[in-house]
Amino acid sequence: MSHSLNEIAAHAKRAARGAGLSWGMAEEAARATRWLASHGLNGPALLCEVLAKNDGVPHVQVAPVSLDGDWHARACELCPLVLGTTLNDCADRLAQGDAINARHVSHPLLVIPFAAWAAIHLSQPVRVSFAGLRIDTDGDGIWVDDPQGDLNTPKAETVTFSRTDKRADPAQRPGFRGTVTSEIWARLDTFAQRTFAPATEASRLLGAGAGLSDND
Amino acid sequence: MRQQVETSQSIAKRDPARVMRLSRLGSFHQSRLSFMRILTRRMTRENWQFSRPVFDFDAKGVGHAVYCAHTPDRTYSLIAFGFDLPAEARSDRVIATSWDSTFTLFDGVPDASDIARLRANIPLQEAGRVSEKELSVSRANRSVRLWDHVVSRLAAGRQPDRHEVTKVGYLMRTTAVYGSGKLGAADREMIADRPECTAPFQIEMLSVFLIRTYVRDLVQHMANLRGGSQAVTLDADIARSMGIGNSTGLGMAPFVINHPMLFNNWIAAREQAIAVVRSLPAATRDEAATFRDLLERSIVSADIWSSAHDIQIAKLAQLRADLRLLAEHVAGADLLAAQPWNRLFLWAEETLGEDAQESLASLMLEPYGALVDPLADQMRDTDASAFRIDGSMKVAALRAILERAYGWALRIDWSQKDHCARAWYVSKEKLEPRLGERFEEPIAPYEQPLAPGRDAAALHAALADQSPDATLAAFLLAHPEHRHSVRRAQLVDRAPYAEIRDNTIGSDLLPIDMLRCKLSFFGATHFDPRSDRWVRICMFGNAPYADELASAQGDDWSYPPALRGEA
Repeated sequence: MSHSLNEIAAHAKRAARGAGLSWGMAEEAARATRWLASHGLNGPALLCEVLAKNDGVPHVQVAPVSLDGDWHARACELCPLVLGTTLNDCADRLAQGDAINARHVSHPLLVIPFAAWAAIHLSQPVRVSFAGLRIDTDGDGIWVDDPQGDLNTPKAETVTFSRTDKRADPAQRPGFRGTVTSEIWARLDTFAQRTFAPATEASRLLGAGAGLSDND
Repeated sequence: MRQQVETSQSIAKRDPARVMRLSRLGSFHQSRLSFMRILTRRMTRENWQFSRPVFDFDAKGVGHAVYCAHTPDRTYSLIAFGFDLPAEARSDRVIATSWDSTFTLFDGVPDASDIARLRANIPLQEAGRVSEKELSVSRANRSVRLWDHVVSRLAAGRQPDRHEVTKVGYLMRTTAVYGSGKLGAADREMIADRPECTAPFQIEMLSVFLIRTYVRDLVQHMANLRGGSQAVTLDADIARSMGIGNSTGLGMAPFVINHPMLFNNWIAAREQAIAVVRSLPAATRDEAATFRDLLERSIVSADIWSSAHDIQIAKLAQLRADLRLLAEHVAGADLLAAQPWNRLFLWAEETLGEDAQESLASLMLEPYGALVDPLADQMRDTDASAFRIDGSMKVAALRAILERAYGWALRIDWSQKDHCARAWYVSKEKLEPRLGERFEEPIAPYEQPLAPGRDAAALHAALADQSPDATLAAFLLAHPEHRHSVRRAQLVDRAPYAEIRDNTIGSDLLPIDMLRCKLSFFGATHFDPRSDRWVRICMFGNAPYADELASAQGDDWSYPPALRGEA
């Protein structure tokens, strides 16, 4: 179904929070999902898979153990959302020309929006490479070189981020709508539902503060 | 003028620590920078044309209408669906499922298939679905007493009683005006580059502006059908005195916390305007006369502003007394020389309550459209980069920001029950934001991040044992629970009016303060709280109708005509 991007972001934020992400992480997961959807990429479905995979898993287990050397999680695969926020937090490292390598990353397409925001911050395109593919982004546009169709891969052994040159060839630019299947929407909704307090008669009246007649 | 400004001592914008308190934000008044006035100024300036290609209703008000607004570049159409709602179904709450009228603002001119599609969806509101061709979705209920009074009077060949009209102020009140992507509608980003959409909430304001015309037409239509040849046309002055009501609950309150940069830009624009006018070295006789005239009309506005709510009754009593005090002072004051507005404002800060101070702040801007109105261009949020956390910032720098911007929160003992007695949560039914009692209801696990002060204090405490030279990137890797607070703090450092500098979960919180602040920027008047978290207002009261825009004098319709009370 065609959704507004704000709907997708709002749904993704609730789902991410429902799956146990902190509010700040959920905010960025939502923006990333929206960004991907606006580019016609499979953000909502991948978010769904990551939330299911890491449901109940503490942040520390899916986060980089250290910011030195290659980034990797202690035992699990790196969560692409944690990798993404960490990459964006450390974006200035790319400015110096250094590459950042991350190992054992799940659903790596989800890190692309974070690379895009790093590119905006650096005023220079960022290249993300994993499996057999290469994606460049200048923040708004995206250039996908994906000869083997690995875009939605559930796992990459290595993901590399580096600064790259500005490109003259046309980029894929974002649109104003996103498509989410009803099945994915419903799966996200099961996570989102966890953030809603069950209603009681008392809260219905007290919590919203009404209770006077409106028939006047 | 410009030279004078430059040679005069420049007054700075007010300190955010003073402005961003809830009691002051809850005392704000509409101004030249209100979104309704930005819209009506543009409609007049660009000579928008209006048409009504469809108006098809039976004697009970069941049917539909289409109202078109033609800008120089494009057309927007309000599609209205009318119903015969049983009295027991009439509710302003978001959990309602039927309404007297429902609306959508369509991007362009709808064809028959659009109307058919929308007829199947718009009356359902949240249970329906719209497309990117729709820009807003809204609904309204009649003010039953006044509606019946006006229909029966007009049908009987008489005009409505002005006192009855003034008491309510509107024939219908909207209970939601959704925009920006809600229910599948177009996102704001789709239209934000259109000149008429750059200022905030212009689509929503246009929807309400057109709804007001529909309501006038519908009440006349029903009176005509009932009264036949006996019926008379509603007097234009009475019609103009009526706005559209709006009934707003808690759903709106989180908006100003969830959109900190946008909120900053609203407040900053108004504060900039106040500072510019306070800095003027002198005023002309015309400028002073304009101010005096509108002050008189503000007194009328306060006099006809009624509320049955204890807090508002007390606020109104003080506002009325203060405005009279202000008028007495102004009668003898020199408004022409030696930074007259600054002197007046300093006097008010010493003498008057916050409500009258803010009324004066808005009034002082009135004679200075050329200086103030362009600031409207700064009220939207275009700074997408503000969302990004600067992870290279050092712990010491963030601590300094927190101590500067959140000092008020660091001084609160958040372990005391009174200071965190409330929690914001979202209910399972209708996804409605609510405010509950943390220690009496099982809601804490569902709490929304709407207590930035408490969270900033927790962040500050967590930073205490971090090395001052450590980066936030490293800190956040281990402490993702503080990520939202780091983002806010960095944003507030750039945008000092972004944060309410007050406790939003204390036992003494009045959510109506947050509602009034936001609604004042819409241009609402006559705030009438129904409880501490629910408020009725009036929109576009005394505004020209579409067919009067061209002949309307000036842009001061928000102030009722001075003599109306005596009519």
